[in-house]
Amino acid sequence: MRKRIGVDIGGTFTDAILVDLDTGSTKTAKVPTTPSDPSVGFMNSVLRVLDDGTAQDVIQTVHATTIATNAIIEGNVAKGGFVTTEGFRDILEIQRQIRPKLYDIFFNKPKPLIPRHRAYEVKERVTAEGDVLTPLDEKSARSVALALKKAEVEAVAICLLHSYVNPDHERRLASIISEHCPGVFITVSSEISPQFREYVRASTTVINAVIMPVVFRYLAKLESQLSTRKVAGELYVMQSSGGLMTSAVAKEKPAYLIESGPAAGAIAASYIGKMLGEHNVISFDMGGTTAKASSIERGQPRMARSYEVGPAATPETGLTKGGGYPLKTPVIDLVEIGAGGGSIAWIDSGGALKVGPRSAGASPGPACYMTGGTEPTITDANLVLGRIDPSYFLGGEMKLNPEAASNAIKEKCATPLGYTIVESAMGIVDIANASMLRALSLVSVERGYDPREFSLVAFGGAGPMHVNALAKELGIPKVIIPHNPGLTSALGLLVTDVKHEFVQTYVHQTSTIDIDRLNKIYEDFRNNAMKLLSSEGVRDEDVSFVRSLDMRYLGQSYELLVEIPDGEVKPTDIRKIEERFFAIHERTYGHAVRTEPTQVVSVRLVGIGSIPKPRINALPRGNESPIDASKGTRNVYFSEASSYLSAGVFERTSLKWGNVVKGPAVIEDKDATTIVHPGYRVEVEKYGYLVMTPSH
Amino acid sequence: MEGQTVRRHDPIRFEVVRNALQAAVEESGVALARSAYSTNIKTRLDFSCAIFDKDLKVVVQAFSQPSHLGSLVFAVPSTVGVYGPAELRPGDGILVNDAHMNMSHLNDISLVSPLFYKDRLFGYSANLAHHVDIGGRAPGSIAVTTDIYQEGIILPGVKLVKKGEIDNDIYRLVAANVRGKKEFGGDIRAQVAANKLAQRRIVEIIDKFGVGFVETTIERLYEYTQRRTEAEMAKWPEGVYEAETFLDDDGVTARPIRIPIRLTIKGSHVEFDLTGAEAQRKAPMNSTYAQAYSSVVYSIKALLPSDIPVNHGFYQTVKLIAPKGTVVNCSHPAAVVGGWEVGIKVVEGCFRALAKAMPDRVAAEGKKTILHIAFGGVDPRSNESYVYLETLAGGYGGRPTKDGEDAVQAHHQNTENAPVEEMEIGYPVIIERYELVEDSDGPGEYRGGLGLRRVYRFRDHDATVTFLADTVKIPPHGMLGGMDGRPAEFSVLRNGKNKEILPSKVTFTASSRDSVEIRTPGGGGYGSPLDRDESAVLGDVIQGKISTTRAKDSYGVVIDITTLALDRDATAELRTRMRARGE
Repeated sequence: MRKRIGVDIGGTFTDAILVDLDTGSTKTAKVPTTPSDPSVGFMNSVLRVLDDGTAQDVIQTVHATTIATNAIIEGNVAKGGFVTTEGFRDILEIQRQIRPKLYDIFFNKPKPLIPRHRAYEVKERVTAEGDVLTPLDEKSARSVALALKKAEVEAVAICLLHSYVNPDHERRLASIISEHCPGVFITVSSEISPQFREYVRASTTVINAVIMPVVFRYLAKLESQLSTRKVAGELYVMQSSGGLMTSAVAKEKPAYLIESGPAAGAIAASYIGKMLGEHNVISFDMGGTTAKASSIERGQPRMARSYEVGPAATPETGLTKGGGYPLKTPVIDLVEIGAGGGSIAWIDSGGALKVGPRSAGASPGPACYMTGGTEPTITDANLVLGRIDPSYFLGGEMKLNPEAASNAIKEKCATPLGYTIVESAMGIVDIANASMLRALSLVSVERGYDPREFSLVAFGGAGPMHVNALAKELGIPKVIIPHNPGLTSALGLLVTDVKHEFVQTYVHQTSTIDIDRLNKIYEDFRNNAMKLLSSEGVRDEDVSFVRSLDMRYLGQSYELLVEIPDGEVKPTDIRKIEERFFAIHERTYGHAVRTEPTQVVSVRLVGIGSIPKPRINALPRGNESPIDASKGTRNVYFSEASSYLSAGVFERTSLKWGNVVKGPAVIEDKDATTIVHPGYRVEVEKYGYLVMTPSH
Repeated sequence: MEGQTVRRHDPIRFEVVRNALQAAVEESGVALARSAYSTNIKTRLDFSCAIFDKDLKVVVQAFSQPSHLGSLVFAVPSTVGVYGPAELRPGDGILVNDAHMNMSHLNDISLVSPLFYKDRLFGYSANLAHHVDIGGRAPGSIAVTTDIYQEGIILPGVKLVKKGEIDNDIYRLVAANVRGKKEFGGDIRAQVAANKLAQRRIVEIIDKFGVGFVETTIERLYEYTQRRTEAEMAKWPEGVYEAETFLDDDGVTARPIRIPIRLTIKGSHVEFDLTGAEAQRKAPMNSTYAQAYSSVVYSIKALLPSDIPVNHGFYQTVKLIAPKGTVVNCSHPAAVVGGWEVGIKVVEGCFRALAKAMPDRVAAEGKKTILHIAFGGVDPRSNESYVYLETLAGGYGGRPTKDGEDAVQAHHQNTENAPVEEMEIGYPVIIERYELVEDSDGPGEYRGGLGLRRVYRFRDHDATVTFLADTVKIPPHGMLGGMDGRPAEFSVLRNGKNKEILPSKVTFTASSRDSVEIRTPGGGGYGSPLDRDESAVLGDVIQGKISTTRAKDSYGVVIDITTLALDRDATAELRTRMRARGE
């Protein structure tokens, strides 16, 4: 009777899913998110999925939280102090010395999370080789510690130059400060992110420091409430990388859980892909305000090693940066665009039709909600086109008004453009699809992958409605749609493992690298990983490792990640590692010179502690005909036919294993609608996944 | 009926094709940045990519440095003209850097390739990358030169790439002339790869939409851009607005250089006339027409909604008159390496003229120097020669609603700093300090940003150091009662004791016992400092950005030096007195 609970807090809803590991049975809940105190929504959702007497059977509660990212976006962070090498007090002020917007005279540089008057310098200096040029002046260290105490800081970030190669001064400084300032949260750069490039490392250290008290209090509160309600088992938190960590570790390394929320969806997609034997998958999650895409290769979501956070963060994909606070921790490489059901259609001053990024959100909402919204949204367009049943939205909990949708489209788009309402609605969907195609292409084509070799897993409230058109456009042969598409992210929490990444900058030409030193670094990483995972209750036999090197051509300044096999590195492996680097460079950038020298920059190891996964039960077997699930037909507009077609409508929960639905068709789930285009078919797979393919 | 179908689906497919073209050029930009070697391209993102139609009109562009706004627009037609379109074959790539062929300076090397679709010429793809060294007198190819032959190897447009392969003879000839060959080779390969990628993407787009539709879309894109730009310009106040801008000196003589700007806004048309700019100098401070054009266009682009695309249609809306043989349109064989310094002065000059028309939409003067520093020598750790180049930020001018940001690049320059740790790993140098300069602000109701200070010491060898900058004599000016920012200062502390002030344009040797120090300018203030919110002044004092003395003398705000308490009564009294004195 072992049970696991996943709780995913989103902008509008808090979702919980409980899985009985032995029977595979699940229970789900959707409750309103409580922004002023998210722990209220958290407990409400947990209590909804627990039956009487089941609380003591829970072995784990897994949580995806936006508490850290919200704290940064809203500026509700702890009062922090920053300590660095003499001469470098302004690392946080100067940043990258660039403007995040090229043509905006009124641009802003992000305001440092720790202001200049709480940035302190200590006399010390270490060289790039790790040699001490100026020893740590203990007197200046103590006066900084006293100043921090006087300033009544709650958290301290320590980042000294070249500490990734020689952390002695940082460690000594931390101990002096903790002596003088008992109870203060201290983050040391050589521990949280021992990688070169001081601004990004300092920024990562500062972020960790100033959110640490916030995250600490939040997790402590959840732990105490779970314990009050006698919910057994440990609390785990989803990291930005898609791995879990215990809340005890999360309290020390909160910088690792910033993108906790979006990660869960990508993890779910990789799990679903694996279940169906698809190891190369593109995850497509379209909700109310945004659409997120990520790619999964050989069962692993693609990772990025740094990104920006904050209210004006610049996405990784463009040619500008500097709008947010850089953070160098592993994160699932997601592309997020402002196209969701609530995205607003408008006409720019040159007469072109645009969709998003502004969203009507849940309030005032799309025009058809009749909750005050007057501007046409993607949902309004889908309603006009017959893709949504106005009386079965959210399983009928909410009635939509098609006339309000038509009027909004007519007034804001059709009349100014001189088109019919239907043409305009189709235009809105086509333009939204074009920007989603761009997102899908960013995570595939532009990362060097051919989308035709991938399957698409589509979820979120709006994903299944748009996915067929997107797959057709990109030539993706197979689309998979899970059940309860709106709860897929919560499911992702229950299908991942405990993971910790260890990294150390070690810059050296590959061909002459000190192999003993390399093996020693890996050995230390392994020991630390085993120790940490065992403290989190993972058994030794459930631990595995993934090792890699960050490499580049000697002289380059961007690195590529090269995975290397487990076991001791031998001199004969070096050329093989370089060959791998060349192949990755070739795939990523289209060229590689096999005679140029390469360089290792950082050494990485991910320690993975496997945890039990839920069982998923098969559906009852049916035959090809989906007649038992039929709800009749309705007229749905398809752009390829330039007209409305009569489409079969089916109830998702009544479909059986083996049923085949031929397009044009509509499959209605309580929280999402799947549109099947003419020329496509959907087969219901053994575990209830919808598998969409071209019919021929 | 057929025509009607096309019309009906136009705005939607227009948007889709336009996005696809933009994605193609951005993707080639990302490929260039990621696979290049030099920090100049990778970290500082000093490069540009563009796609042109077969009539040599620019369709889409991607760059992070707005100084590249005009850089390929003129260069690509000149370069194609060297061979003529009939002589170009699929897979060709023409290498060019000759500043006097409508380019900017020799370090900017462009690669221009024809784009073919099924054996038919469709257009051109081009990219430009700032190479860290192209030969010439000093490491980094920046120096106080008097003609272009001293500035490095000149590439007049040669087919480096044929049938997609690099011609090794030409490559070796060029590589023999540059310092830092590894970086040069890596960067050139990245440029070749970027053009190949653009060719692939264009074929995919045409395969999908058809050549006719893509070409129609491009024409529509020009019209759309021009229509939107002109609609904005029509809202601007008509009139003739005059301003002037100066460089401190030309690096060879101490004579300042004057550039007058006459802006005419009439209906939906904008014209900048630089007639009266001084004759070109036998010195490095000359700009080509393309550079001056980038500057002018930047000032306009900064006043337009950011989503208006930049293409041929946009360039039709801005007219620049710059007489030949002057510092803003120099003739062969003028030296051009300091042309960017002329360029940023022209941007400031244009903003001064625009400020007269629209004072609430323009900032006070910023650092107004590009501020290059280059150094090189033999790395004692490897015994190999090295060269390093960077540019430093300064204060941004105060703005109509807010302060100028501290330590940030201004206007058409937006190059990132190299991390100190990365520099120290790669080059034999120690950065001793990198910090804001207190009290360097131009006081104002909205103050100018602070400049920064960077101190270099070379490890165990003598390095050849060059500065190519300006704004040490004439400070960044404030506007509407705002005061000037502190100008730049260049110096070297010899043997830890004798401080020598250096000119802003100089090449010299520094030993491992010397510290080279640069202080960059602060931005000018906007509005009277006596109108500045006193709590904002207090905030600056608490943060250590300005001293209590400056708070009192420049802002009329009295703050106790030990308690940092604001004395409101004393402040009110002092400000009244200062106003009465007309400060």
